[in-house]
Amino acid sequence: MEIRPILSALLRNKTGPILVALQVALSLALLVNALHIVNERRTVAARPSGLLDEAATFYFQVRSLNNDTPEQMLATIKRHTEILRGVPGILSVAHVSQMPLSNSGSTSSMSATRDPQQETTSAAMYVSGDSLVQTFGLQLVEGRDFLPGELVDINEQQERTPPRTVIITKALADRLWPGASAIGKTMYFGTGDAPGALVIGVVERLQTAHAQIGDLGEYSVIMPARLYGAAGAIYAMRAEPGQRDRIIKDAEQALRKSSMIPMILETATVAQDREKRYRADMALSWMLVTVSVLLLLITCSGIVGMASLWVTQRRKQIGVRRALGARKIDILRYFIVENVLITSGGVVGGVLLGVGLNGLLVSKLEMTRLPLPYLIGGALLFWAIGILAAYGPAWRAASTSPALATRST
Amino acid sequence: MFGYYFKLGVHSLRRNPALTALMVLTLAIGVAASVSTLTILHMMSGDPIPAKSERLFVPQFDNGGLDGYTPGAEPEDMQMSYQDAANLLRGGQGDRRTAMFGVQLPIEPPRKDMSAFKSNGIAPTRDFFAMFDVPFLHGQPWSEQDDERGADVVVLGRAMSEKLFGDANPVGQRLTLMSNPYTVVGVTDTWKPLTRYYKLVGGGHPGQGEEFFIPFSSAIRHETGHSGSMSCSSNRESGYANLLASECTWIQFWFETRSSADRAELQSYIDNYANDQRKLGRMKRNAPNALYNVMEWMEKLKVVGNDSKLSAWLAFAFLILCLVNTIGLLLAKFSVRATEVGIRRALGASRGDIFRQFLIETGVVGLAGGLLGLALSFGALALIGMQSARMAAVARMDLQMLALTFVMSIAAAVIAGLLPTWRACKVTPAIQLKSQ
Repeated sequence: MEIRPILSALLRNKTGPILVALQVALSLALLVNALHIVNERRTVAARPSGLLDEAATFYFQVRSLNNDTPEQMLATIKRHTEILRGVPGILSVAHVSQMPLSNSGSTSSMSATRDPQQETTSAAMYVSGDSLVQTFGLQLVEGRDFLPGELVDINEQQERTPPRTVIITKALADRLWPGASAIGKTMYFGTGDAPGALVIGVVERLQTAHAQIGDLGEYSVIMPARLYGAAGAIYAMRAEPGQRDRIIKDAEQALRKSSMIPMILETATVAQDREKRYRADMALSWMLVTVSVLLLLITCSGIVGMASLWVTQRRKQIGVRRALGARKIDILRYFIVENVLITSGGVVGGVLLGVGLNGLLVSKLEMTRLPLPYLIGGALLFWAIGILAAYGPAWRAASTSPALATRST
Repeated sequence: MFGYYFKLGVHSLRRNPALTALMVLTLAIGVAASVSTLTILHMMSGDPIPAKSERLFVPQFDNGGLDGYTPGAEPEDMQMSYQDAANLLRGGQGDRRTAMFGVQLPIEPPRKDMSAFKSNGIAPTRDFFAMFDVPFLHGQPWSEQDDERGADVVVLGRAMSEKLFGDANPVGQRLTLMSNPYTVVGVTDTWKPLTRYYKLVGGGHPGQGEEFFIPFSSAIRHETGHSGSMSCSSNRESGYANLLASECTWIQFWFETRSSADRAELQSYIDNYANDQRKLGRMKRNAPNALYNVMEWMEKLKVVGNDSKLSAWLAFAFLILCLVNTIGLLLAKFSVRATEVGIRRALGASRGDIFRQFLIETGVVGLAGGLLGLALSFGALALIGMQSARMAAVARMDLQMLALTFVMSIAAAVIAGLLPTWRACKVTPAIQLKSQ
């Protein structure tokens, strides 16, 4: 290989090659970081909520306009639940305090002991008078679902003592009692004189209302209580697969028909909530994908442009070389090796720059570290692009006829 | 000479259409990417109330319990307990002051043909309207007596007023809120700040503006539940009276001072207040009490999300890449014209003349790139605006950004053109002419 002459030729005219290498370095650094972020966001948005059939799960937020007593409210909740259960196609109904991914819900601090020094964690509180395990289709990994006798009615305006039994998520169980079974243990809602509850079941997964990044998004507690006394109630329902929209209409009608007094009824599906929750992430990832594509196009056009320029500038030399016996393949090889040299410089710079940029993002914007495969993949990609982009102009150079090239312009 | 060089520049654009198109496009894409992300950043972080942002302050106490507290840690919540809000309102420090919380209430319209619906508003005190320069279309804010009595009066947002009463002036009309009759005392004109900076905790997004305002004291008197977040560091007894007496934080508070110089005075006032409360056995954490003005508050609560900053950074890196690419292309374009330069130099043009001519030519490229970039920016912003109502409100270009786009694209082109132009001037006429 004639690397030495190519190198010394490159060093004689540095500006062009430096510009191309700089371009490669910049695009490589940007590309790997952009793709890393895209992948991160997509992974976050693809996390399962824990619901068995998310597409078929929806909920009503119902608010009656009369001034009912708490007892009347409780009766209404029971009546509504029964009406919804009677709608054909609805597999399960639960009166519940909040919905996963809905971005609105309450949390409480949780602790394994009452020790005030103990660091507590916050967990979403799903309070339901029905079986969430059934309505959401949660997967019990340990223990059992609530028994009917464990279910209590709580007037939230007066009573603040939580029920005595709870089901928690696996993530929360692992956080509170690492390496041990949570079944039969007592969990406290805070420290000091906070009330406790017996863990009777552990479900595989149930995301919180905010679906935060990391384990925090899966710290949820299910409590067997029908909360009443506050205006407004949420009914979660799971429909037969594929018939959600028709069933929503039927259920709305059934509920509205049941009462003479007008009510405010708002419907939402878990799918809508999911879309809303991750909308910003998806938007950012699409923007980054667009930028990445443009980036590659611009870099390619830059390499092609510069390579073409060099070929045009050196037509005479090429002609002389061809006349002195160089074959087409020699010329082709010369230009490709030259480009690989330049691209390699760019790739080395790009890897360094990419790591640096990532470091900046990690420190300023709470990103995660760039995994090695991205750097390796990016480097290979740019080598391939360098060769492919140079191939066209190099082929043109090789096709230069010696007679044409040596003729004076 | 400028006009002539400009014409020459335009003419030369047409000489090598593919190369020129590539250059203009590269520049336009780079400019569009950075301008659209910068516009969003600019709109989000812009001062929502420039005349007063230095005189409006949020006081912040840490009234959490000692359990699980590490000294120096940030407070869990950036809101205030009812006790503190009521005490500060009574205290009368500052020129004006207001406490508020979000409320979501069912409205029963007086019109029989319209069914009841949910509506979002806030419950502030009278001073709110003057503090945040809320414009009025009809009527006026409720009176101080209304605040004291907890009167059932309501100020409607313009959209809500039109929905309920059409174009008529509704002042004096009745409206049923939470099953209680409220009297309309005023209607605000359209008031939709880009960020809901006055109530950033729990719903700082701009929406349709506030739909209604009811007096803080009236909302408390009717034991209205709040819409927004609440943080309780200890267990509280149930019932509204216990909520008001608890250390739960759910209210947002603002002071307005006569001038920004009164900040120190306000600070010492809230420090004294916190010390008095400590004597009563509250605020055991002994954490420092903070004051934030509008811009500090927006920074503290991260109104501009990391995603927007990230986009802007990447877009700028992308612009740099586009510039490097343009430099290369210009270098190619100019190097072909060494002969032309040689002849002009031989005919007596100075290096300065050549420099000016080529720089103006790159300026022309910048202008073309800028125009195209502007069109692309509008397209990109429209795309971003489709994301959500918040983005639609923010993804709008103002005059300032429009001017910046132009300056940026031309400056970018000229900067990109410096190196190629300098190289073009270095052409030695003798060698060029001899090689012909």
